[in-house]
Amino acid sequence: MSMEPYNDAVRRLFGNPRHAGDPDASYPAVVTAEVSESDAGFQVLLAAEMDGNEMRRLRFRVFGCPHLIAATEELCSRFEGRLPEALQDVPVAQLMELLEVPVEKTGRMLLLEDAAHSLAAAILAGEPSGALRNRRN
Amino acid sequence: MNEKSTLHPVYLDDAATTRLDPLVADVMCACLSEGGTFANPASMHAAGRASYALVERARRQVADLLHTVSRTLIFTSGATESDNLAIAGAAHFRAHRGRHLITMPTEHKAVIDCFAALERQGFEVTWLKPDRDGLLAVGDLEAAIRTDTQLVSVMHVNNETGVIQDIHAIGECCRRRGVLFHCDAAQSAGKLPIDLSGLPVDLLSLTAHKFYGPKGVGALYLADRPECHIQPLMHGGGQERRLRPGTLAVHQIAGFGAAAAIALERQPDDLTHMRRLNERLWNGIRAVPGIARNGDPGHGFPGILNVSVQGIEGESLMLALAPLCVASGSACNSQSGESSYVLRALGLDDRLAQSAIRFSFGRFTQESDIDAAIARYTAAVSHLRGIMPALTA
Repeated sequence: MSMEPYNDAVRRLFGNPRHAGDPDASYPAVVTAEVSESDAGFQVLLAAEMDGNEMRRLRFRVFGCPHLIAATEELCSRFEGRLPEALQDVPVAQLMELLEVPVEKTGRMLLLEDAAHSLAAAILAGEPSGALRNRRN
Repeated sequence: MNEKSTLHPVYLDDAATTRLDPLVADVMCACLSEGGTFANPASMHAAGRASYALVERARRQVADLLHTVSRTLIFTSGATESDNLAIAGAAHFRAHRGRHLITMPTEHKAVIDCFAALERQGFEVTWLKPDRDGLLAVGDLEAAIRTDTQLVSVMHVNNETGVIQDIHAIGECCRRRGVLFHCDAAQSAGKLPIDLSGLPVDLLSLTAHKFYGPKGVGALYLADRPECHIQPLMHGGGQERRLRPGTLAVHQIAGFGAAAAIALERQPDDLTHMRRLNERLWNGIRAVPGIARNGDPGHGFPGILNVSVQGIEGESLMLALAPLCVASGSACNSQSGESSYVLRALGLDDRLAQSAIRFSFGRFTQESDIDAAIARYTAAVSHLRGIMPALTA
């Protein structure tokens, strides 16, 4: 059993989160979603700059552990440039395997999945921003 | 920050343990080497007597550090054992007089878990809360003492915040009311002056490895008063006044004695050094937005600086701080993400308590270590500000 709590993928994504930050304030079509978990205060904010039906650029902010930050960065990398419907099928198990997320952190990965679903729903409903959802593990 | 760090680790975790002073290592190696003093100090032959002499020399050295006499000290495996022996030993010895005990929720786990075990055995425990700065109001203690109260246990220096309790006033209060006073001095012994010839403390725990001695050895002080008798927790031999049986670890005890002798000599210089480092560190990071110091700086041990920062998650902060060796206010990787019970007892919310970092330093810490910590902490918070939701007023 490794004594290292984070593998190289987590360290790389956590150390260089290219999608972290806010969307371009001057961009005309931005859709956002926010999900938080009230017990530990974890929070995931996703924002999509839309180009027609396509999410041309994804941005995020996360209050959470390195695994959640790395997973969110990986998700943004994978889904940028795609249609919002794709967000309805977030590969949580694959992300957990890639990042070697401890099983006790599964709830945090599901929070990310919730945020992705919320963002997709907001885009598809034509809302400028997704509903704020609070969830308990 | 994106690669696994290959930088030299900067050790700022002296409150967890200190490195061995090289002079202490020499003393221990002399015992362990060919021709060293290895015999059982309980043996009556010449080799045993040599070991006995070494043990008693060490006992005098520890006694000198605390300004007491040798016969008041018994050697143990460390502060955890000393705490258990003092608390459980006193509670059980005095149980026929009463079963009420008093302590604080900000104590070390060695004390808290011992009191919790006593609660399960039918003792009643009052947990006195500190004020927001971590200090115990002696008036609160006075009010909590009852006719059936047998023992009060309050630590000298808090291991997380560095807050120094007024153990003189607490001890006087206990003496006035005829209650035993135990003090866990694991963080202070060897670092702060402790004069047991004038302090109204009945039982005091200490350990060698917090002041540049070896791990695995400590002591319990029992004041030279009949009231301070306790019940042993283990049985099996007559060592250490029948209170702590078992063959004494001569090389460990010799190292403990050497560490005590060095501490007595170096204490003023060490304290000055720690004050300078503390000030340098705080001045270097105090401008970080959202930062706050935990614990009352006016009653703080200079070897510990504990800070929280708003809007930053603790586990991520710890990773971003690598290769700094510091302690976190959160239980990293746990499902609950439970934050420090000490900081929550001071009124910090979970998020703020989780972001806490304890920097602790001492004799061997260099100013360059502090400068590295300042640079790393500032960079880590800045990195995470770019990831985490913005601070709201």
